[in-house]
Amino acid sequence: MAALRFEDDFLRKLEYLHVVSKRAFAGQNRADRLARKRGRGLEFADHRAYSPGDDFRQIDWKAYQRLNRLLLRLFDEEQDLPIYLFIDCSRSMAEPAKFDQARRIAAALCYIGLAHLDRVTLLTFGASLGDERVPGRGKGRIFRVFEMLEKMETTGATDLRESFKQFASRTRQQGLAVVISDFLDPAGFESGLKMISSMGHDVFAVHITSHRDQDPGALGEVRFVDAETGDLRDVEVTPALVAAYDEAWHTHAEELERFCGRYDLGYIRADAAQPFQDVILKTFRKGRFLA
Amino acid sequence: MSFGALAAWQAWLLLAGAGAAAGWLFYRKVRPPRVAVPTLLLWRRVLDTPREMTWWERIRRTVSLGATVLVAVFLALAVTRPGPAVEAGSRGRVLIVLDSSWSMLTELPGGGTRWDRAVERARRLAAAAGGDAVAIATTAGGLVEGPTADLALIETALGALKPSGGEDAAWPRIVGAEATYFLTDGSVERALDASVEIHSVYEPAPNVAVTAFQVRRAAMPSGQHEAYLEIANYADLTQPVRVAVSRGTEAISDTSVSMAPGEAIRQVLVLGPGEPRLRVRVSAEHNALAADDEAVAWFEGARPIKVTVVSAEPGALGLLLQRHAAVEASYVAPGRYAPDDADVLVLDGWVPADAPGKPALVLSPPTTSWLGRRLAEERDLRWSDRGAHPVLAGVDPQTLAVARAAGFEGPGLVPVAASESGTPLVLVADEPGRRLVVLNVAFEGSNLAFSPAFPVLVADAIGWLARPEVQSSGRPGVVELPASTTRLTAPDGTPVALVEAGDRAVARLDEPGLYLADIGGGHAVLSANVGGPDVSNVSQTSLTDEAVAAGAEALGAGRIWWLYAVAAAFVLLAAEWWTWQRRITV
Repeated sequence: MAALRFEDDFLRKLEYLHVVSKRAFAGQNRADRLARKRGRGLEFADHRAYSPGDDFRQIDWKAYQRLNRLLLRLFDEEQDLPIYLFIDCSRSMAEPAKFDQARRIAAALCYIGLAHLDRVTLLTFGASLGDERVPGRGKGRIFRVFEMLEKMETTGATDLRESFKQFASRTRQQGLAVVISDFLDPAGFESGLKMISSMGHDVFAVHITSHRDQDPGALGEVRFVDAETGDLRDVEVTPALVAAYDEAWHTHAEELERFCGRYDLGYIRADAAQPFQDVILKTFRKGRFLA
Repeated sequence: MSFGALAAWQAWLLLAGAGAAAGWLFYRKVRPPRVAVPTLLLWRRVLDTPREMTWWERIRRTVSLGATVLVAVFLALAVTRPGPAVEAGSRGRVLIVLDSSWSMLTELPGGGTRWDRAVERARRLAAAAGGDAVAIATTAGGLVEGPTADLALIETALGALKPSGGEDAAWPRIVGAEATYFLTDGSVERALDASVEIHSVYEPAPNVAVTAFQVRRAAMPSGQHEAYLEIANYADLTQPVRVAVSRGTEAISDTSVSMAPGEAIRQVLVLGPGEPRLRVRVSAEHNALAADDEAVAWFEGARPIKVTVVSAEPGALGLLLQRHAAVEASYVAPGRYAPDDADVLVLDGWVPADAPGKPALVLSPPTTSWLGRRLAEERDLRWSDRGAHPVLAGVDPQTLAVARAAGFEGPGLVPVAASESGTPLVLVADEPGRRLVVLNVAFEGSNLAFSPAFPVLVADAIGWLARPEVQSSGRPGVVELPASTTRLTAPDGTPVALVEAGDRAVARLDEPGLYLADIGGGHAVLSANVGGPDVSNVSQTSLTDEAVAAGAEALGAGRIWWLYAVAAAFVLLAAEWWTWQRRITV
């Protein structure tokens, strides 16, 4: 692929964007994202009665003068957001346009997260969970992210369930899980997405599509080769069959979208042929994933 | 190797053709382009969903199904070969006789030979016997198999049979035969019992043949020999016939003549000394019988007889043999005798200690262990008993005056001429490995040297010893040989079985060609040729028109139509495969 680089203008635009999480999650470090717990942020949140052992520095002495009661001032805690970016590296994503689109989306989301001091984790998956890389914090790490993404290669089949099962085998902080994939899992995408959703993450499905997925590209006698398994199937592709296949593909996409809606998962469809900046600046914002 | 109703070459050709065609079809296979798709998940969903077929798809499917069914039917027909049922004519022993005349090898326009059809007909007759005992016989070999109810044995016997002449053989019989079927083309007229049911396999066919080929003495004072050749065109059209005559490995004539229907041409070739083996071959476009296209002959006088004379003083004997044109004599004294390559030995008043391994003319022999002993001497005797032995042909005993002669006797020696009082004068021995003529008259006590009987007697004796006479018709079949015959070798080098029959040996010549007989240390060559007016004219039959018509009707069922069924199945299969590869059929 061509070098994965963004122009400065586009990067500046990304810095204005935030990854929207439907829920607040506990972070590890101080950042600029409101956490669920009270802490030592700058924004006043509430008072509570003093208890022995509390920090004297938090006592609101003005309130003591007025009310003659010892009250503690509470502030909102601002922490980072754990963002897990899952990138599908199975062979079904081998089409250059699809894989490039997936990696660019991952890079853009990663940059937005880094710019807001979120804790971004890049994970690849296919038949199982692949590499897991944490670029660090701060937007200066984006070049490391680019390198990581450029080194990724497609291989093997797709197994969402097995991949997320392996992801769940380690204790992790709950956060935002972004799954960038074509969701062409022979075993079905449902069980995998249900599994990661049940772990308490805020799941967002980015459905990478391509016109090559919808169009067989040939008419007549054709021997289809499954890119993931190598299985062969001789098919006489007729216009009627092309129409039936197109309908099946749309059904598959609609099923995925309906499934995400039913389980309150975010869903974005990003076509490989669509200009990348439009995907980020329009489609993602329209899908309320970026704000 | 047997291939059912196919000849071996046909079966191998079929196998090779089928293999080549299959290989060709394999490489003609249309290979669909490979298209990589991200996953077959959605394709499986589409293809596994039942769809309503279009009319075009239904037509393709029907055509495909019909072609497949036809292929299966054709193959089933070819394997089972159904035909009209043959009525079981009896409930007892059944004798099926196949005419093994050479004319049964006639190839027919519809394919196969008369013999093939006779065998096929015999199979059906045996199958229709309904478990009764069946016997198979041929006109040449007599009873071949059975009577037996085991059809496997019958089938095996039929598969091993082939025509071998036997036009003059005795009619085969079995005890208690309730029905006798004779499968024949009627080329040879036979007197048959009224109970014999004839099944004709006759169908006229054009033929060209060598109907006569023999070497004979020319009717000229020079006494030369000539080869007589007769060729006939039994086709109903005029056609060019190529005639090639060779002597040994040398071609002496190769001509092409146009022969009218029914025409026979005769040719005489004068023969000089040289190679004794003669062969003639004819070829023509319309020629249904191959067995009579070639004929062989053996020229006995092509080479002189080598004679070694063992004598202390050849004298009159030497002078006689020097002037004999057909003899090449060499002389050796008794003390210097050693076995050589001579055809005949002449032992004059002396015999070696051991019996010589070749024919010998022994003049006035002394007593010796292997030959016999001298008897009492008789004076002024007269030769009165002149037998009919070939050694005595043309000998006039009246010209012979014998003052004294001693009798002689020995194991195996048979007197063929004797004096009035019974003293043997000429004795012969004709036993396996031993062929002798003993002349018991000495030059000293007779006028033998000056008698006109002497050169005739010596020439007869040398001729009889060197060129044993064989009673052969010149055709394959039974031949009578002298009792001294030790071996008979077929044209392909295999030995032929000899059967002792009294004072003769009998053998059967199954194949045409030249046979070599070892007779008492000498050699004889027998020629056996198939061609002849009775065998080669395969357009004629002795059968009645009704029998021929009935046979033709039955032959219709016996034709090798199943071969066409196999061919049709193969063509249909190839067409279906080809169209399937191109998605014309499904």
